Amino acid sequence: MNSVIKPRINSFVDRFRGLQASSPWMRRFSMLAQVWTLIALFVFFSLASDSFSRPINLRNILTQVSTLAIFASGMTFVLLLGQIDLSIAAVAALSAMISAHLYSKLGYAEPIPSLAGIGAATFMGFVSGVASARFRIPTFMSTLAMSLIAGGLTTYISKGRVITKVSQLSMTLGSKRIGGPDGLPVIVIVAIVTLAVGYVILRYTRFGRYTYMTGANRSAARLAGVNTDRILVVVMTISGFCAGLAGIISMGRLHSAQPDATDSFLIDTIGAVVLGGTSLMGGRGGMPQTVIGLLIYGTLRNGLDNIPSIDIYLKEFITGTVLLVALLINTVFAGTAERDRTI
Amino acid sequence: MSTVPIIELKDVSKNFRSIQALDHVDFDLREGEVHALVGENGAGKSTMMRILAGIYTDYEGAYYLDGKQMRFNSPHEALAHGIGMIHQELSVIPELSLAENLFLGRQPTTRLGTIDWRRMYRDAEEELSNLGFELDARLPLEQYPLGTQQVVEVLRTIVSGARVLIMDEPTSALSPSEVGQLLALVDTLRQQQRSIIYISHFLEEVLHVADRITVLRNGRSVATLTRDEATLDRLIALMLGREVDRQAQPITTESEHEETILEVKDLTSDKFRDINLRVGKGEILGIYGAIGAGHFDVARALFGLYKLDRGTIILDGEPFPSNHSARYAIRRGLAYAIESRRKSLLLDQPIYQNITMPHLERIGRFVPQQAQELAAAAPTIAQVNVIPPDPHNPVGKLSGGNQQKVAIARWLTFPPRVFIMSEPTRGMDVGAKTEVLGLLRRFGEQGFGIIVVSSEPETILAVANRVIVMARGEIVGRMENKNLDKDALMRLI
Repeated sequence: MNSVIKPRINSFVDRFRGLQASSPWMRRFSMLAQVWTLIALFVFFSLASDSFSRPINLRNILTQVSTLAIFASGMTFVLLLGQIDLSIAAVAALSAMISAHLYSKLGYAEPIPSLAGIGAATFMGFVSGVASARFRIPTFMSTLAMSLIAGGLTTYISKGRVITKVSQLSMTLGSKRIGGPDGLPVIVIVAIVTLAVGYVILRYTRFGRYTYMTGANRSAARLAGVNTDRILVVVMTISGFCAGLAGIISMGRLHSAQPDATDSFLIDTIGAVVLGGTSLMGGRGGMPQTVIGLLIYGTLRNGLDNIPSIDIYLKEFITGTVLLVALLINTVFAGTAERDRTI
Repeated sequence: MSTVPIIELKDVSKNFRSIQALDHVDFDLREGEVHALVGENGAGKSTMMRILAGIYTDYEGAYYLDGKQMRFNSPHEALAHGIGMIHQELSVIPELSLAENLFLGRQPTTRLGTIDWRRMYRDAEEELSNLGFELDARLPLEQYPLGTQQVVEVLRTIVSGARVLIMDEPTSALSPSEVGQLLALVDTLRQQQRSIIYISHFLEEVLHVADRITVLRNGRSVATLTRDEATLDRLIALMLGREVDRQAQPITTESEHEETILEVKDLTSDKFRDINLRVGKGEILGIYGAIGAGHFDVARALFGLYKLDRGTIILDGEPFPSNHSARYAIRRGLAYAIESRRKSLLLDQPIYQNITMPHLERIGRFVPQQAQELAAAAPTIAQVNVIPPDPHNPVGKLSGGNQQKVAIARWLTFPPRVFIMSEPTRGMDVGAKTEVLGLLRRFGEQGFGIIVVSSEPETILAVANRVIVMARGEIVGRMENKNLDKDALMRLI
């Protein structure tokens, strides 16, 4: 009867809200909105393409999102804290370049080059963290600056050239498969381990709880005795570490260190984490959400490749559109759609 | 005053899941009338006000405006019909000038479509002087005290076309003189034939300003009294449904030998100077001051959340390191409940997690464990009588008084040595106030030292053994709380 009296533009949203309020089951269901998006995409591509659902292709999806997953593990911490790290792509490139330079030009043996690369990346994250915590520079700015610094150093070290001689260690991590040519890629294992460690830290340690607390309400966390500045520094350091690791792995996958190899990862990483359901405002989300977000991303990218009839020049457009729709569905289900109720 | 109702609610009910927030309520507002709504937290005031303002659109019953049945779909629509709400939390933009705040979204423009600044300033000052305020409309609003900002907010709602104003706890954050100013404004508005729905916990204020008073209890309208019929005792009795001991008597028993727990010497920062104080075992020390006197900053500094220039804090004979962290303060046995619940609680998180927040180090070794946390939280939830007591309930779903109880309960898991509370009863109704003050006294009897920091003299006088009065960052008076009354405190600031 109500709907007759007042047809509402937002009635679709409201109806879901109503459902949510009706039972805890509905609420649990709605938290799974991302899962349903993933399933829907998966079913769609399986029907639309013969090659999509073959085991080999599924393994390809995992391989394709693995580097992204390592970036995303770090980014999940950062977003949970309500911060952002814009430097990950540049820091990853720097990590790869330092490591390749030490290995091929200066002749250091592994693991020194890889550790040095990751160490440098971790340090860059630490510096952005300190700059933001100590001097109250927004992470948006401190990591933007750090992105330029890292990019600049990469250019300086590489002189703009690609280094094609990379260590066995990084190639093992990046492109080896366990159990023959059809086996499980090491890169997938590394990604899973990174995600799992991130999950354990966030879910089962005090530091993880503090990260959520600080992200949800900084002043409340401070009142509870949490050193929120330290949390920020540690989280940015973690993000730097993950970027460094991703850089090394990406180098091993490409068999070369390229100054611009990781450029596209920044936006993809933020996209995947947010798509999974972690809030940009902090305090909500987590590693499981990030896994779902990564799989949606991977499915979408890979699925479009598997439908030969799609115009290759239209792919980017379709990806963007599907992402937008997925995000809309998320917010409607999660009940976080912004609605202006103020005067 | 006319007797024609502008607004009339008939038989209005509203449910939230299992809770009946409003239960067949009738209400009417006449032209040129100040109609106050009083009731305990959770009595239904907020719900009713939100229905009136078009925020809640889904309710049973009828809403008449000027005799015509209405159903607003949004606050915008309500405002378009002349019903404006002034929220407890101000929505002004402090960085903008007073005039810009006043005309936000409807600035006068020149022929070219640019903003006509000169006219805006002139109009703003004219509107203000109509209400008896002579202010410079060019200054940024943040340069004016909170009371003036409140006035601007009221005026803005009027400029937006409201003839009915719904005011939600308009004085809760104001100093006594600012309260006087606001009440005078309400009087002026009444003379201009505006109608006002006035919601407040301060019953004396309500008695002073209202023409009629409607008392809500458990979602029902229990009575509507005219100003002449109403007395403080009658209102309280109606609100609670029982007679109460209204003003709790100050404790007269001397603490036996007053062994000193906390001693503070020469505490100085940019907001306060040379603060010396001492808290004994089982003693309740009240620090009173007007808003901006620096007393809240002293509390923050003691807990390690405000930078000190110099001074010594000695707890149980052992001094704190200079500029200690909050974590250190917690470990040494300080507890601190701040004036803002929004800033101290995680509203989306369950009660138990809010309680264990400061104690994770002491509860689990490495891994926070739900079972251990629940076990730690459950006794304190019961101790302070949170309703409903389900530890899994998100704190945001509780009423204000119960949220405050959670904010207090969080420090009882590991009993502190000294409990610092800023505005322990702000924005609470009589029942919740009595309960919280009772808790405070019980803590005193258990041997904690307690510091109550407040700008509400009633709160201080009701519980403190000794009172320190602060003004402009300095201590201006110290007294025993014996036969003290409000005047004694107010005269000093």
